[in-house]
Amino acid sequence: MKALFRRYPHEWILVGLLTGLLLAAWRLDPPFVSVGTQAELSTHIWEMALLTVPMTLIIITAGIDLSVGATMALCAVVLGMTFERGTPVAVASLLAILTGLACGFLNGVFVAKVRVHPLIVTLATMSAYRGIAEGLSLAKPVSGFPASFAFIGRGEWHGISVPGLIVALAMLAAWVVLNRSVLGRFLFAIGHNETASRFSGVPVDRIKLLLYSLAGTSAGLAAVMFVSRRNTAKADIATGMELDVVTAVVLGGASLFGGRGRIVGTLLGVLLIHETREYVSWRWQNDELILVVIGALLIVSVLVNTLLTRRQAVS
Amino acid sequence: MTVSFRNLAARRETGVAVLLGLTVAVVAGLNPAFVSGANIRDMLVQCAPAAIVGCGLTFVLLTGEIDISLGSMMGFLAAVMGLATSSQYGNLPAPAGIAITLAAGTAIGLLNGVLVSVGRVPSIIVTLGMLTALRGLTELIMGGKWISGIPPGLRYLGTGTVIGVPISIWVAAVTVVLAWLFARETPAGRRIYALGSNPKAAVLAGLSPTRIKLFVFALTGFLVAVATLVGTTQLSVIESGIGVGFEMVVVTSVVVGGASINGGKGTILGMLLGVILLGIVRTVLIFLNLGETSVYWERAIQGAFILVAVLMDHLASRRKSAEVPT
Repeated sequence: MKALFRRYPHEWILVGLLTGLLLAAWRLDPPFVSVGTQAELSTHIWEMALLTVPMTLIIITAGIDLSVGATMALCAVVLGMTFERGTPVAVASLLAILTGLACGFLNGVFVAKVRVHPLIVTLATMSAYRGIAEGLSLAKPVSGFPASFAFIGRGEWHGISVPGLIVALAMLAAWVVLNRSVLGRFLFAIGHNETASRFSGVPVDRIKLLLYSLAGTSAGLAAVMFVSRRNTAKADIATGMELDVVTAVVLGGASLFGGRGRIVGTLLGVLLIHETREYVSWRWQNDELILVVIGALLIVSVLVNTLLTRRQAVS
Repeated sequence: MTVSFRNLAARRETGVAVLLGLTVAVVAGLNPAFVSGANIRDMLVQCAPAAIVGCGLTFVLLTGEIDISLGSMMGFLAAVMGLATSSQYGNLPAPAGIAITLAAGTAIGLLNGVLVSVGRVPSIIVTLGMLTALRGLTELIMGGKWISGIPPGLRYLGTGTVIGVPISIWVAAVTVVLAWLFARETPAGRRIYALGSNPKAAVLAGLSPTRIKLFVFALTGFLVAVATLVGTTQLSVIESGIGVGFEMVVVTSVVVGGASINGGKGTILGMLLGVILLGIVRTVLIFLNLGETSVYWERAIQGAFILVAVLMDHLASRRKSAEVPT
């Protein structure tokens, strides 16, 4: 037990916070902690949860992708506009995902080949992709998708939520890559020391290109899920999504300086943000308070983690 | 320092200045009203807040840190200013409102600085948290209502003119000149460059990273307060959405102007050129008469400008490194 705690201090802090929150919620508002309520509320997080998967991998390599929200918006607009012009919705969805791939690939080219800091690249493409989405759609929404399309965003398969299944598979795949594959070791190596990795023959550029393309593709898939669930495609969807995603990953214990990050931590980060947000809005019906709580949660959790690891290093 | 042509061509400021000059020349050629006094004044007024805050952010980037809480900070400070001075709330006189706003801005900046330099939390995390938390706090203290009844003394900062030039332009000009002198001519300014260029050497030379970082974050908070005072008093009401996206405008402008987010590189002149280049995009689109839908492309063009700027850098540095014999 003690060894387990030593090994995963950050995860235990998150589990503690999450348990404390749910216990308090159960004491104060028992209906909130029921299975039915939780299942209903869970629909709010699938897109965010999906995007935390590639973001975790990218942050482990000391990168970041701020353009995921904008990419999602552009993919949604492509989906909406091609559908509006008579393309079958399945083909339109595929086009949306390909658009995401193209957006992510462009990010990857700038990061890996032009060697610009990912923060700058994705800050630029965040404006660019959102701007293209606004320019193409003139900010007009598209709706009226067929009922069968809703399957991806809120359907069920043998009683399991379809978007939930997609997220679970993505997380499982990322866990296997990080913990049981050479590629996973390479990601940590790049994050720890990129130059040394290059000299050791790690294909750094190819891996980065792959990671950013993966993030773009996931944003495309998230856009399809979002449009399917809400039945509307618009250029202003997923505004601020990148901040939520980065917050969840960092809350989960990944270091923005690279070399550190776990999928389990990210999952806990997503759950903690989600439960906090839903509970605050359930109890106080106050969306503003949520922002304050989440912002403070982010700073405090990293501060505590820094203080703990520093003391450990001293002792 | 000798100024050679090659030296000049390799600098980001030159590239941005050329891009800016070309843009202005082309648009003015197509529509002379673009360079009329009134339009130039309007464009400069729009650029003023970003130029003021850009001075602070340039120093933050020079130390190798970043501040993305600027937009929410501006929204929060506008709410504080409004609640303190509005005839329906605090009803304090304008000078007191100015003092409170400046003090609050400095305090928030200092808090960022303490968390970064004493708490050792990465600045992107601290300011990301602040970006979220301050926006929520702004909406909480405003209670979903707009604040009106701002005293005329404060409104004057946003709407008044001195010798025919709006006050916000004066303030921005003075701030930029002071920041430029500070960066180039004072020991403190050089220490900031030293810390960013080589943190280890700076510490060995006896500089205190903690104090320098506290200073640059507090300065940025102070300058956001200044920008709030001259930038948000142009309208008669204060709403909770003030400053949304402002941090992106300032960060991208400073980066387009040549500052490196790894620290040690960046100038006030480059920042100013970047702010103006990105700030006039919307006006350019309007004056090009491409139809009313063209302004929807503003953000796409701003994003493209940044990518072009970094690509130019990449090509320039590749040519330069190719010339070096190995």
